[in-house]
Amino acid sequence: MATATATTRALGPAAGRLARRHAWTGAVVAFFFLLLAWNASQTRNFGAFEIQTLLASTLPLAYLAMAQSVVVIGGGIDLSVGAMLVLVNCLSARLMEGTDLGGSLLVAAGCLALSTALGALTGLVITVSRIPDIIVTLAASFVWGGAALFILPTPGGGTSTGFSALVLGSGSAWWPALLCLLVPLLLVWAPLRRSRTGVAIYALGSDRNAAFLSGVNPLRTRVAAYAVDGLLCGLAGLATTAFTVGGSPQSTIAMNATLNSVAAIVLGGVALSGGVGGLIGPVFAVWSLYLIPNIMLGLGVDPSYGEVVKGVVVVLVVLAGGLLRARRERAP
Amino acid sequence: MVALRSVDLAVERGEVHGLVGANGAGKSTLVKILSGVLSPDAGVVEVAGRAVRLRSPAHARASGLAPVFQDPAFAPDLTVAENLRLTGTDQRAFRRQVGELGLDGVELAEPAGSLPLPLLRMLDLARVLAHEPSLLLLDEITAALPADYADRVFAAIRQAREEDRSVLFISHRLLEVQEICDRVTVLRDGRNVDTYRTSEPEGFGEPQGGAPTRRAEQRIVASMLGERAALAVTEPRRVARTSHAQPGEPALSVRRLSDGHRVKDISFDLARGEVLGITGLEGQGQDELFAILAGDRKAAGGEIVASGSRLAARHPHDAIRRGLTLVPSDRWQALLPQRSVRENLAIAHYNAPPGWGWINLDRERRRVAEAIDRLSIDTRAQAQARRLSGGNQQKVAIGRWLVGGFTTLLCFDPTRGIDVGTKHQIYDLFRELAAAGRSVLMFTSELREVPLACDRVLVLYDGRIVAELAAADADEATLLGAAHGLAETLTES
Repeated sequence: MATATATTRALGPAAGRLARRHAWTGAVVAFFFLLLAWNASQTRNFGAFEIQTLLASTLPLAYLAMAQSVVVIGGGIDLSVGAMLVLVNCLSARLMEGTDLGGSLLVAAGCLALSTALGALTGLVITVSRIPDIIVTLAASFVWGGAALFILPTPGGGTSTGFSALVLGSGSAWWPALLCLLVPLLLVWAPLRRSRTGVAIYALGSDRNAAFLSGVNPLRTRVAAYAVDGLLCGLAGLATTAFTVGGSPQSTIAMNATLNSVAAIVLGGVALSGGVGGLIGPVFAVWSLYLIPNIMLGLGVDPSYGEVVKGVVVVLVVLAGGLLRARRERAP
Repeated sequence: MVALRSVDLAVERGEVHGLVGANGAGKSTLVKILSGVLSPDAGVVEVAGRAVRLRSPAHARASGLAPVFQDPAFAPDLTVAENLRLTGTDQRAFRRQVGELGLDGVELAEPAGSLPLPLLRMLDLARVLAHEPSLLLLDEITAALPADYADRVFAAIRQAREEDRSVLFISHRLLEVQEICDRVTVLRDGRNVDTYRTSEPEGFGEPQGGAPTRRAEQRIVASMLGERAALAVTEPRRVARTSHAQPGEPALSVRRLSDGHRVKDISFDLARGEVLGITGLEGQGQDELFAILAGDRKAAGGEIVASGSRLAARHPHDAIRRGLTLVPSDRWQALLPQRSVRENLAIAHYNAPPGWGWINLDRERRRVAEAIDRLSIDTRAQAQARRLSGGNQQKVAIGRWLVGGFTTLLCFDPTRGIDVGTKHQIYDLFRELAAAGRSVLMFTSELREVPLACDRVLVLYDGRIVAELAAADADEATLLGAAHGLAETLTES
């Protein structure tokens, strides 16, 4: 803690505060680059292709982690993110099959509108019925999963090559996938974060009563949070369609994706109690979790142990963060 | 639960109106209705002659009614500036108010949760003032403020009066109320029972007796108590007044105990065989004191001596092993609602199983049966503790320690919400325990039961003991006066 105080003094209070507020995100980013350097040192000719693979294959989960973050920051939790991904994946794969780029984009827009509306509906049901988030979204996950099976009973469907290339890039062009991630971040989240609704989402997650007394409208705020959640889940579904060039209604995909999104936000510095965190940290956490099995492969360890290591890393990192926080709270 | 039955209250423009009443008289409920948190079942709120239905806190604020609650309405993870955005507060107006309240070095980019609570309360006031409300609602704002902050609050109240705003000022501190308010309304059991003008001392009592403020206090205390004052005198004393307190080494000795927050400096001895009462208004440090004694909270200073040796409990288990056992005020903190009465009674016994291996069920059953018998617990609904009546639940919570064993029983408001018959059974039990050489430390918010249950009583005010009375002298009016900090102020002046 002594070094942190010294930095605070050297940089002035404003910069020190900034550093303190974003300490976790900074740590996750550093952690990711450490893993990336390690992975790069293991691979001959590490370059654009590897980066493209990393970005393209993690794009769905990155969206999902962002979606989960928005809800958890607002004091809820969404267990239906994975199912929503599968639903949009199946719907878009069925409708995009045989279309050209223009048709695919039209379908994509429709899917996003639908997922946003379904997200908003979930938020509405939770707030009006006062049933806890975890129960409503668990139920919603069954509904979305069932609907996906109805739309696409067996894996199949397709999309246009143009759509895949647009979303993921082709060959070693890694920037389209990154751009796809940045666009919603800059066009949806950044303005929202600065709006009164965005502040209200954080306030609601931080202290529901204080937020209410400050004049936050819980209904509007939660519906907004879940709508953004739905939009990002829709993007995750479309990214899956682009990546797999088809759709798959398997419920295990949904379950895995949901649980991974929770692991990513926890690692990415979003407090499950709400009110704390951002969307950048979870994305870097997703990338870090992706690299771990790769590094193990490079070390000659059975990549099946990757899951074990992932789990241990999540617990250790959160434990270390908790200890640091506790020390800081005791310090003044 | 009906907290508020019927209240008529008119606050004039430019008036500072005091609102006083005992715990549970309905003060906070009234503020919640006026600030749009709760909606009334009946009745009308009029602002400047126009009837309004206050739908939400934001709507109340827009109508000119702005509250400051005891818990500041700041989301802790947001910065002060972000919190201001939530309420739509103009930052410049806020800064001006912060300056007028004499608060320096407030950094708006700091997360609200990192600021000290008294400062946050002041910032809440500054935020409310920045909205230039026509009626300021201050609910116990001075209860946990240091004196210098409190003075600034009073200055702000006077300033508001000069600007022709109105203030509804709620406080347990009667001297404050007397000093700052133009008129005072007394609430009792959800009704307004008295309103008087503080500048008219001739209205109270005998004209020649005592200073005006002293007589005003007497009038307030009398109307807060109502007929209950008379009732306490006429109620027959069923408990024989023989003290079993044994001289010699005390069962529990507390020396200069503090927690750095609410508990400031508490020292007392509890003799073996003594029933010692503690009383006080809400939030005077009693919750924290009992939590520390039960090993549930760390002390910042001072020491606890239990049966002759120092106790530094890090966990309730440590305190229990040393014979200090807690019966909390909330019975659901103690009981396992879905489990049987037998299991609830035996659970303390499980603490010390005879080595490893099986629990001796025969012995457990015998002890449980003894406790049920001794407390005359109604066992008709014994399959699940939650199906018992409140009184029987309380008996189970106490009976647990009869089974588990203890030297000092810490009881927090043991008779809250219990019928009279069971109350007297509990008083009798305490007397019996005392006769057997055990000690009882009980907090009670019901002043009437002090002479019925206790040998001696301590009055807690602002984290300190301000009065110690023998049970015989502990009539309700004396206790209430002491609990409102009058004893302290009287000895000072």
